[in-house]
Amino acid sequence: MTPAARWSRIVLAAIPPVMLTLAIPFVNRDEPRLLGFPFLLAWMVLWVAVTPLFLFAADRIGRKQ
Amino acid sequence: MALVIIAVIVVGTIAFALTSVRRLKMDPHEFIVGSRSFGALLLWILLAGEIYTSFTFLGAAGWAYGKGAAAFYILAYGTVAYCIGFFLLPPIWRIGKERGLLTLPDFFIDRYGSKTLGIAVAVLQFFLVIPYVTLQLTGLQILLTIAGYGRYDATIAVSIAFILMALFVFTAGLRGTAWASVVKDTLVLGAVLFAGIAIPARFFGSPAAMVGHVLQLHPHWMTLPPPGATNAAYTVPWFVTTILLSGVGFFMGPANAPAIYSARSGETLRRNMIFMPLYQLVLLFVFFAGFTALAVVPGLKGPAADQSFMLVMQRYYSAPALGLVAGAGCLAALLPASTLLLGAASVFSKNVLGDALNVATGDRERTWATRLLVLIVAFLALVLWIFFKTSLVDLLLFYYVGITQLAPGVIFALVWPRVGPWAVGAGLLAGECVGFYSLHNTIAPGGINAGFFALVVNVAICALVTIATKKKLAVV
Repeated sequence: MTPAARWSRIVLAAIPPVMLTLAIPFVNRDEPRLLGFPFLLAWMVLWVAVTPLFLFAADRIGRKQ
Repeated sequence: MALVIIAVIVVGTIAFALTSVRRLKMDPHEFIVGSRSFGALLLWILLAGEIYTSFTFLGAAGWAYGKGAAAFYILAYGTVAYCIGFFLLPPIWRIGKERGLLTLPDFFIDRYGSKTLGIAVAVLQFFLVIPYVTLQLTGLQILLTIAGYGRYDATIAVSIAFILMALFVFTAGLRGTAWASVVKDTLVLGAVLFAGIAIPARFFGSPAAMVGHVLQLHPHWMTLPPPGATNAAYTVPWFVTTILLSGVGFFMGPANAPAIYSARSGETLRRNMIFMPLYQLVLLFVFFAGFTALAVVPGLKGPAADQSFMLVMQRYYSAPALGLVAGAGCLAALLPASTLLLGAASVFSKNVLGDALNVATGDRERTWATRLLVLIVAFLALVLWIFFKTSLVDLLLFYYVGITQLAPGVIFALVWPRVGPWAVGAGLLAGECVGFYSLHNTIAPGGINAGFFALVVNVAICALVTIATKKKLAVV
C-alpha cells in the first residue's frame, strides 16, 4: 500500500471519532433542534450513523491497492 | 405471571443454545475460540451480543434518568472503538492464527517474549472482570425484583440470578452463547424499541414531544456542563476523555481476544467493524426510555435510577408485557455474563494455572478448573455486589479504568517494534497504580476522567523507558 493510500485510510477512519470527541465542545447545545431533538444528541446520532460510510470508503481504498 | 414468562424465555434460550452445540466435541480449542471457524454472520452476532448487556438495557437508561447528557458518551465510545478495531483487529487475528494464540495474555507472551508479563495481564483481566460481572448480576437482580412486584427481596433475587448465571455458562460454550445471542438480540431489540417509542408515545404523544417536556422540567438536561462549572462532575472534558478511555479499552477484556480469534479471517473482522456502529444506534431509544421515566416516575436517587423505565413498565403496563421486557433484559445480562465468566476463567486456567504453575494441563482437568474458576469469579462478583452498591455505569467505568491500561502494550506491539517487555510492564504498573489511586475520586484535575489520566501516564512511561533503554525487541 502506498503511503498516500495508507494515510487517506487513517484520516477517513479518524473523522467520525474526532467528530464524536474533539468536536463536542462546539456542538454542546440544544439549538437548533433537529426533528425536535436537541442538537448535541442529534449530532452524535448522525455521526454514529454515518461511520459505516467512512469505514467502508477506507476499506475500498485498502482493496484497490 | 411476569416471573413465569421470564423463566420460559431463559429456559427456552438455554434449550436453543444446547441444540445448536450438541453435535460438537467440546475441547478447549472449541470451548474458548470456537475452533477459529466463525464466519461473518456468527461473528457479528457474537460481537454485537456484547453490546446489548444490562449496561445498555438498564444502565444507559439509568444515566439518562439520573445524569442527563453525560449518558450520551455511551453512544459514542463503541463507535470510536470500531474505528480503532478496523485497523487493530485484523493483525491481532493474523498473529493469533500464525502463532496458535487463544487469549490476550498469549498475545503479550508471544510478542514480548515475557511469561511474567503474560501472567500479570492474565491476573489483571481475571480480577478486573469482577465489577463487569457484578454489573450483570445487579441488572438481573433489578429485573427479578421488579418482575416479582416487590414480593421477593433483593437477596433472594440476586441468589437466583447467581444460579441462572452459573447454569448458563455450564450448559453453553462460546458457540452456544453466540447462537443464543440471536434470540436475545431479537427480544432486546423489540423491548428497547417498545420502551423508547411506545412508552414516550403513550405519555407524551411522541419521543420528540417527550424530550421537549423533559427540557421544560430540567432545562440543561440535554447538554453537558462547560469545563470548570462548579458542582458539576460530568463536564465536557470528562465526556471526551471517557469516550476515548472506553473506546481504546473496548477490546481488552478477557472475552474479547477469544471472540477475535474465533473469526474465520481478518477480513471477516474488518467487515464487522464497518457495520457494527449501526447496532449502537439502538441506544438512542434506551435514552428515550430513561428520559420518559424521568418525567413519569421522578425521584429515584443514585443507583435506584437504574430501575427507571422498568418501574414505568411495572406501574403502567400488564404483567405479560412486563415479563416479556424483563425476560429480554435477563438475557441481556445472562449472555454477556456467560462470555465474561468463560473468558476470565479460560484466561486464568490457561495462562496462570497452566503456563505459570503447570497444573491442570490435561483437557479434562482444564475443563474442570475452568468450571471451578467460573464459580469463583461469579462468587467474587456477588461479594462485590454486597459491599459496593453503585450504579451500573459506575461499575463499567471502574472496569475501564483498569482494563484500558492493557491497550498500550497491544498497540505498541503492532506499531512500534522497539518497545520491549520492561517498557510495557513499567507503563502498565504505573497506569494501574494511578488508576487504582484514582478510585476514590474518579475525576482528575481539569475535569478529565482519572482513568484517562492513568492511561496518559502509562503511555508516557512506556515511551520513556523505550527511548532510554534503546533495547531492540526480537521481532518474530
